Amino acid sequence: MNSETFDIPALAALLPGDALPALLLVAFLGSALGFLVLARAGRWAGPLAAVLPAGLFAAFVGYVPILSAGEGVPAIVQTVSWVPSLGIDLVLRLDGFSLLFVLMITGIGTLVALYAGSYYADKPTSDRGRFLSYILLFMSAMLGTVLADNLIVMFVFWEMTSLISFFLIGFNSTSAEARKAALQSLVITAGGGLALFGGLLLIGMEAGTFSLMAITQDPALVSASPWFGVIATLVLIGAFTKSAQFPFHFWLPNAMQAPTPASAYLHSATMVKLGVFLLARFDPVLSSSHAVTLVIVGTGLLTMLVSAVLALRSEGVKAILAHSTVASLGLLVTLIGLDGPTSSVGIAGFILAHALYKAALFFCAGIVIHATGATRIRDLGALFTVLPLTGIAAILASLSMAGLPPFVGFIAKEYVFEAKLDSSFAAVVTMVAVIVNSVLVAIAGIVALRPFFARNPAFSGKPKHGELPGMTTGPVVLALLGVFFGLFADIPQYYIVGPAAVALAGTPFYVSFEIWHGLTPMLALSGLVVATGGVLVWKWKPIHEAMNRLTFIDRLSFEKGFDALFDGLLQLARVTTQTLQNGRMRTYLSVTIAVVTAALAYAILAGGLQSDGRGFAMPGFAGDEIRPYLALVSLLVAAGAIVAAVARSLVVSLVGVGLAGYGIAILFLKNGAPDLALTQFLVETLFVVIVTAVLVKLPAIGDGLRSYSRLDLRPGDAVLSGAFALALFVVLLSIAAKPFNATVTDYYAAKSLTEAFGRNVVNVILVDFRALDTLGEIAVVAFAAIAAWSVLAGGEGKRTSASSGDTARALPSLIFATTARLFFVLMIAVSLLALFRGHNEPGGGFIGGLIASAGFAVLALAFGIETARKRLVLHPVVWMGTGLVLAIVSGLPGAVINESFLTHQWAELNFGFTTLKLGTTYLFDIGVYLTVVGGVLAFLIRVQQQMDAPLPGEDDPLVATGNSMQTKGASA
Amino acid sequence: MTFLYAATVAIVAGAGIYMILARNVMRIVMGVALLAAAANLLIFLSGRLVSVSPPIIPDGAETLAETAANPLPQALVLTAIVIGFALTAFSVALAVKAYRSLGTLDAGAMHDAEDLGSPFAAAIDTKQG
Repeated sequence: MNSETFDIPALAALLPGDALPALLLVAFLGSALGFLVLARAGRWAGPLAAVLPAGLFAAFVGYVPILSAGEGVPAIVQTVSWVPSLGIDLVLRLDGFSLLFVLMITGIGTLVALYAGSYYADKPTSDRGRFLSYILLFMSAMLGTVLADNLIVMFVFWEMTSLISFFLIGFNSTSAEARKAALQSLVITAGGGLALFGGLLLIGMEAGTFSLMAITQDPALVSASPWFGVIATLVLIGAFTKSAQFPFHFWLPNAMQAPTPASAYLHSATMVKLGVFLLARFDPVLSSSHAVTLVIVGTGLLTMLVSAVLALRSEGVKAILAHSTVASLGLLVTLIGLDGPTSSVGIAGFILAHALYKAALFFCAGIVIHATGATRIRDLGALFTVLPLTGIAAILASLSMAGLPPFVGFIAKEYVFEAKLDSSFAAVVTMVAVIVNSVLVAIAGIVALRPFFARNPAFSGKPKHGELPGMTTGPVVLALLGVFFGLFADIPQYYIVGPAAVALAGTPFYVSFEIWHGLTPMLALSGLVVATGGVLVWKWKPIHEAMNRLTFIDRLSFEKGFDALFDGLLQLARVTTQTLQNGRMRTYLSVTIAVVTAALAYAILAGGLQSDGRGFAMPGFAGDEIRPYLALVSLLVAAGAIVAAVARSLVVSLVGVGLAGYGIAILFLKNGAPDLALTQFLVETLFVVIVTAVLVKLPAIGDGLRSYSRLDLRPGDAVLSGAFALALFVVLLSIAAKPFNATVTDYYAAKSLTEAFGRNVVNVILVDFRALDTLGEIAVVAFAAIAAWSVLAGGEGKRTSASSGDTARALPSLIFATTARLFFVLMIAVSLLALFRGHNEPGGGFIGGLIASAGFAVLALAFGIETARKRLVLHPVVWMGTGLVLAIVSGLPGAVINESFLTHQWAELNFGFTTLKLGTTYLFDIGVYLTVVGGVLAFLIRVQQQMDAPLPGEDDPLVATGNSMQTKGASA
Repeated sequence: MTFLYAATVAIVAGAGIYMILARNVMRIVMGVALLAAAANLLIFLSGRLVSVSPPIIPDGAETLAETAANPLPQALVLTAIVIGFALTAFSVALAVKAYRSLGTLDAGAMHDAEDLGSPFAAAIDTKQG
């Protein structure tokens, strides 16, 4: 046809090969920049923000000639590798149908940005900048959704639109209604998104690909799957929630809490059509099942009817428009369910026409509300003299909505009717379409006429302003486009609707989109619709009031059910939280231990049923000799633990814990682990020293009972810990019965001397093979000590004169006092010996450090902690820091020479009479030594200082003596 | 000895759990110490107790003898003992601090934070209001 006139190959040639990803990147970068710039742009923020969508619109227009001229079903596919390991690539695909959306998104986005800049002119600039940035970000997300070919990528953008919709609906965040509506829409659309995600994952698993193109080209990949029913259900839920289909229809009218520019953009022109977009894209897959088609058509019809009724009941201008949007979406959903190529022309044409007139009407409604402050239709009237251009735009848009010639809405409606008459559902579908379209005509009339022309006695307010250029541009441009596309229908036919319909149908066919095609049944239906609609406009008031008297409709509201569900869920969360998170540690611990025990028991029982050797096993008795001495020690350990558990007195408990600890040290010693034995002995000693220091001052008989004979018996806890112990016992036996994997052990055994030059394999593992682990572990010790140091800060200052001087302290015994210094010197010497021989003999930094700490503890016991602290010379935290630094420094040579941190280096020094082999491992072990000494002494000093200072109850009469526990314990 | 060792670990761990469930925080601290000791012994056991000779390469030999004890769990346990000590010592510090601030060792009586009310309930109230 007129292709020579409109073909612009030069423009297409300007676009680089991989322009689609670049355009998407520009969109997102531009919106990110918006958050920085727009708040400071003053009154030019709107036009400035409009530059981005306008530029993108121009760029995408460049694709129009390519997509309208190609043979077959033209599409542009461009790929950027994104997450190759998961098979997720940023595949962008532009065909006729996505082009329709892209042009709508960027085109209307431009007008929305202009409009919003003016709409927010009297608001704080930060609000305006934030709003515009959301609009731009939303536009980018929309572009991503319609361009993505990979389903996962599409889903990410899809969810992003839901999130930004949430922010925009709740933009007026001081309003409780706006927050509630925002939350409601997010819960519904994101909940639907979750269902959709499940459906998409199933599609990917069944089809073996996430490419939309591949799936729609071979629908049997999915439709033949046994999961098809589930997939279809999940995808339908995702689409129906997003496009506000029954029974999720109520969120969209509530979303009118959003500022009007957002309503015009998100909740009429673009985002809510994503559900339709998705259904249309998946139509080749979904239409293979008659049941699914029925559900789609039925849902669409029901939505149309319900929203038509609700529209007649509504009061507010925006609410009426929102209900009519839902009805239009229902119409589109119905069309998708219908068969035949005409339906794709109807879909494409109606999407275009609806976007033009509905956005224009929302713009007009926004101007009216902005100018008057009134939102209800009956409060408005006689505004034409103040807002003439807006009034004209509203009339033009509503004529298109009413489907009158020569507007594009008329053409679209003709094809919608044709598709319905052609389909296999003809009678029902056509009937509903006639009813609902009549209501749409009525809505168009009411919204366009009443605010501007009605002589309304209720309307008394004086408008705040007349026409504002920024706000009036949008509706005028869109309304005029509605006329232009109607008069010159071959332009949309050839460039927009045609390519979209072909892409939807999946096969090339001649698309007619003409204003006049003779005296057809469709024309007769149009006449009927307009006539009925005219009656509705005329009798709007009585009908509106009659509808409002039908209160049973309120009881059918699904919104109430949703609210009940939502509140019930919150209530459930509150109850479970208050039950489980009740502030009693015993409850938490009991639950945790019970769950762990149950999991162990389940593993044992479930494993016991398996016969393949992976289940529970029992070690044999044969060859398992009993060593009487160790058996006795084991019994002592167990006895110590039991005594510790059941004794009422904390001192007795401590003795029990000490007994168990020393016993375990002996078990280590007699099973070839002298290093462990030494460490365990020393740690147990230090633990007993620290706890004793505490118990001397704290109520040692915690429950206030003098008698040591009373036991601490708690039957419930005994059952729980007994069950845990039993489960652990069985698991341990099972471990012992399994063959042992000695690979790692053998490696260390073979390489310890040859590669790390040490004979004590345990020490070599610690300071060389696993040095990084050890570094982490001494860091943990240091952090714990620093934390304890600061938790117990403030003790020194409170010291009373009686205990301040160590000289005043009563010495424990003359012999101890005189030998203590000797002991101290000896222990420091031994600790250094242990440190330096540790690489080849039992010993090492940990053990050396602990011996030295024990030496200081002896000193502290004899002369008080201050003496010990003076002997330390430096602050214990300084010692720890030095140790950590040394350990780290020891790894640096390896990092430089071998490019591997903590790979130790060795050098051989020849002194003539002997050779000395030195390595950075020694430096590392010294670091460990110093960290341990500093850490342990930090604990020791701080706890002792606290104990020397008066405690609550000692000299502070306000704190009840012996504390509350004594009275509680006595009564228990 | 396998059964005996396993029983010992189980009893020590069970006693530790029992003490952790008590109300006196010093008893809880000692329970943690017992539990740590049991865990260490457990790791040691899982390396199999087959030998009584330490994992030290004798003079003249290049590699560890087959008859030596397994060095790997020993290396793991050695640091675990020290870290376990740091943990229990820190718990002692917390217990002392708690006694100083609250005047009690009863974990059940330490509910100053709970007395402030539930932040959850407060959030709901503002939303509805």
